[in-house]
Amino acid sequence: MDVASYARAGQYLGAGLAMGFGAIGAALGEGMTGGFTNRAISRRISMTPALTRTMLVAQAVAETSAIFALMVAILLLFTDMAEQGPCAWAAAIGAGLSIGLGSFGSGIGSGYPGAEATWGVSRQPAVAPQMTTNMLVSQAVCQTPAIFALVISFLLMFMDYSKDPMWPYSAALLGAGLSMGIGAIGSGWGGGETGGAACKAFARHPRTKTSMMTLMLVGQAVGQTPSIFSLMVAFILIFSNYSGQQLTLHSTMAPLAAGICMGFGALGPGYGNGLTSTKACEALGMRPQNSGLIMRTMLVAQAVAQSTAIYALVIAFVLIFVV
Amino acid sequence: MEEIGKVPHWILHFGNYQMVFDKETLIMTWIVMAFWVLFALLATRETKIIPNPLQSAAELLIGTWDELVKDSLNLTDRRYFPFVTTVFLLFWISNMLGVIPFLSEPTKDLNTPLSLGVMGFFVAHYSGIKFKGFKAYIKGYFEPIFFMMPLNIIGELAKVVSISFRLFGNIMGGSIIILVVSYLVYSLVLPPFLNAFFGLFVGTIQAFVFAMLTLVYISVQIR
Repeated sequence: MDVASYARAGQYLGAGLAMGFGAIGAALGEGMTGGFTNRAISRRISMTPALTRTMLVAQAVAETSAIFALMVAILLLFTDMAEQGPCAWAAAIGAGLSIGLGSFGSGIGSGYPGAEATWGVSRQPAVAPQMTTNMLVSQAVCQTPAIFALVISFLLMFMDYSKDPMWPYSAALLGAGLSMGIGAIGSGWGGGETGGAACKAFARHPRTKTSMMTLMLVGQAVGQTPSIFSLMVAFILIFSNYSGQQLTLHSTMAPLAAGICMGFGALGPGYGNGLTSTKACEALGMRPQNSGLIMRTMLVAQAVAQSTAIYALVIAFVLIFVV
Repeated sequence: MEEIGKVPHWILHFGNYQMVFDKETLIMTWIVMAFWVLFALLATRETKIIPNPLQSAAELLIGTWDELVKDSLNLTDRRYFPFVTTVFLLFWISNMLGVIPFLSEPTKDLNTPLSLGVMGFFVAHYSGIKFKGFKAYIKGYFEPIFFMMPLNIIGELAKVVSISFRLFGNIMGGSIIILVVSYLVYSLVLPPFLNAFFGLFVGTIQAFVFAMLTLVYISVQIR
């Protein structure tokens, strides 16, 4: 087989992976929003139009990550990557894995704020406009890991590797896709749960508006740190230069292993950080006067939970630069 | 599509050494600075008890940040307020600049967020040494057990990476998405909405997050 045929095969496989995995998360999140809206309507039937509107807005935002995956899948199907050289097949599969897996967490995550926002509006109708703002902000932040994954996908698809030999560059590109794709799941999901808890707590205690928004944003932002490590490892894998190396099996396996290590290493801490900030937002809803203490405890807990992502980062760096 | 990854440069030569400046980033940062200088001059030109619209906007902006800084630091003076607020104001307009045609966000260049992230790191650690004393500051690295020291140091350095890559990734990601979608739909219908979402909405949120995290890192150090 020639290079063009390899590239085309990689593109088809990548498109399938992108859209197949990418369809999971957003649909789950939207389903959850719809279910909670039904509950909310049955509680306060007079608000049916307002609740339906909130639900549709929330679902439209939750759909974003699936649209990212669709965009990448279409680009993979209808562009020609053959002229990008012998690594094009790996770049195409990596791009598909990155956005496919990476949109899973953000998709399911952005369902939580929508669900809790509709439920909260039915509980506290007076705060409906502010609740929509809170929901949209948390959903937008929750999309960040998916945006990172999309950036890596685009870099993989549009960069020029034509001068590079097939190995170990192909392994590095696959590793970059895996690192960002898997690494984005936890942060997206956890950030979404945080946004949901913030909406719930806001409905319980509407006067906490500013401090709740601040706590939610800080919690989500710190929770995204593991996915940022994944982004960094993916960048390093894409841009690093292997030209001086001798081609052996182990020099090929190292970049791929680094990607897998950072990807899975970021999954747990991302979701764990999200759990911490979820409970912090709930606690703020019950005791708004303790906002300083809650924020400090949350940050300490997240720093400790994040240490496993730092272990993974260290091992990934060793795999890239030392081994 | 060739725009991705192309950077216009100014190169200054000092004997054998050369300094490379990113032309676009420099000019755009100066535009942001000019905007805020102009805004400050206009807003404070005639201050009255009953303010004009510009003055009330400035008061709202400054007052909100004053409250936020006061709430999270619990200090009697305002020594960190100017720094944190300036970081927010700079990044806020920087992130929104891409909405205007022919201009681009200076935060799209990693150097901008990274330099302010490093600045925040030094401010936070200097404050930590000043408030807690050098001994207590060093002792913080040996907790909970002494051999956690290397990982604690990596954790502190990782804060700089995470704070700057978060802003950079969001803004660069937004601009790449706008570029690719505009190319796919021949610049019809969709780009204005994407510009509004990524430039105005995400840009504001990320600028707020950056300034807030700088503030949080300082407050963690001085307690």
